[in-house]
Amino acid sequence: MIIVIGAGPAGLAAAEAAARNGSDVALIDSAPRIGGQYWRHRTEVSGYRSNRAEALFAKIKTSRSVTYISEASVWSIERDGSLIRVNYLQGGTESSLTAEKLIIATGAYDRSLPFPGWDQPGSMTPGAVQALYKGHGVLAGKRVVVAGTGPFLLPVATTLAEAGVEIVGLYEAHSPLRWTLSPVALIFNLSKFAELIYYWRLLAKHGIRPQFGRVVTSFAHGQATISHVDSDFRMKAKRAQTIEVDAVAVGWGFLPDLTLGGIAGCKQRVVSDGTTVFDVDRNQLSSQPNVWIAGEATGIGGADLSLLEGEIAGLAASGQEISSRLRIKRFAKELFAQALSRSYPIRDGWKSWSNEDTVICRCEEVTLANIKESVVELGAEDSRTAKLFTRAGMGLCQGRVCSRNVAEIVAGLTGCSVSDEERIASSNRPIAAPISLGLLGDGKK
Amino acid sequence: MSEIISFTFNGRQVQCEPGQSIAAAVINTGTLSLRTTRFGEDPRSIFCGIGICFDCVVVVDGVANQRACLVTAQSGMKVESRS
Repeated sequence: MIIVIGAGPAGLAAAEAAARNGSDVALIDSAPRIGGQYWRHRTEVSGYRSNRAEALFAKIKTSRSVTYISEASVWSIERDGSLIRVNYLQGGTESSLTAEKLIIATGAYDRSLPFPGWDQPGSMTPGAVQALYKGHGVLAGKRVVVAGTGPFLLPVATTLAEAGVEIVGLYEAHSPLRWTLSPVALIFNLSKFAELIYYWRLLAKHGIRPQFGRVVTSFAHGQATISHVDSDFRMKAKRAQTIEVDAVAVGWGFLPDLTLGGIAGCKQRVVSDGTTVFDVDRNQLSSQPNVWIAGEATGIGGADLSLLEGEIAGLAASGQEISSRLRIKRFAKELFAQALSRSYPIRDGWKSWSNEDTVICRCEEVTLANIKESVVELGAEDSRTAKLFTRAGMGLCQGRVCSRNVAEIVAGLTGCSVSDEERIASSNRPIAAPISLGLLGDGKK
Repeated sequence: MSEIISFTFNGRQVQCEPGQSIAAAVINTGTLSLRTTRFGEDPRSIFCGIGICFDCVVVVDGVANQRACLVTAQSGMKVESRS
């Protein structure tokens, strides 16, 4: 049997591909409905080329060899001889599945950068606003600002506008001219222009005009401050604008969810923009035997790349042939993924948006002043030591939100750069989901 | 919708559709804040919305640290900001 963890584009494609030769597949997902974050839905999937989702869903649901397990959150993975055991919680009870092979497709989550008021109710990630509406039919507010960087801001702004939200601003920190740095990637991905036109039409329909080189630099009591920034994200002297909003949806690209692959002992590497991802071979095989990883966890590239990586992982795990056509398609999407990171890099200037009392670690309420104190007065030289002094990154989220930011801030204060070892170490967590000691004890029997 | 789910949030009745999360149901009533923080007592709501950040944790039927963005609302649930 092959266990696939995650029912987003990569996991679905992996399960579908593996089942083609009749291999038994167990598809485990934490959500009540399949589709992951990208194809989140209540009744049917909407958005650009959503027919792809419906086709995959139908294949998975009608396949005799795929068993779909929903609302199950995997909290640990262990070896049992040559087998792999996946332990999960479903409705408060602990269960486990054992298989010869495992495909991990846990996706990614929004990357966030701190600014004054980012911890206030009403400040959310674009993913949260999208999930709230697409998954639950609830709008984050009547007047919303969408900001940050990257192409994901477009579906979020247009989905909300279609739902009747007034998008009072769509602010992209970078200039679109950065795409001229990647001509080859664009030539290999001409279909992306169709997607751009799709969003452009929707923006025009709702009278939304994206504005570039601007970021949300504060949010409080229903007021958002929009500042002009230079290419290094430093605020320009130009006068900032204040607008009345119910909510701000601010996102800075995505961070791979490394938790489960980390627990499985899969080797990680740091890519050029500082993001930690899993190191996989051309068949998506990780450093661990019989463990494949596909999708955003092996590098941020979007749904198109995730679908291809998932298919390749599913074929490889089930011992089927991988065509060179599939590999070429993946290569083209990898070029696009590189262009994405080249077009929307996170620049150091974000550190200047925070005040001394701005919360950096949301869980433990650690401020910028606390982190500075740990470095300047207590002598912390790296983020690990700063974390021990301040508890930044030691709260319930286990540093998923702040650890990268804390490492960057400490590095800025000490005049060093964040080492790859530090980046990889901060992404490893012993347990994926909170579990009671009682269940933990029972699970070991 | 045929069925209506009804639960309490800090003693107040909240109604929602089946399948909606606790966070979605409460936010739909116009209340954003789901809890206040331990030290600064600052209000917090959902932030990541997908179970990563743990900012929306509430007490559900006496069980602490439940992510309001993930837990589906059920009739008769007693949800509180803190125990």
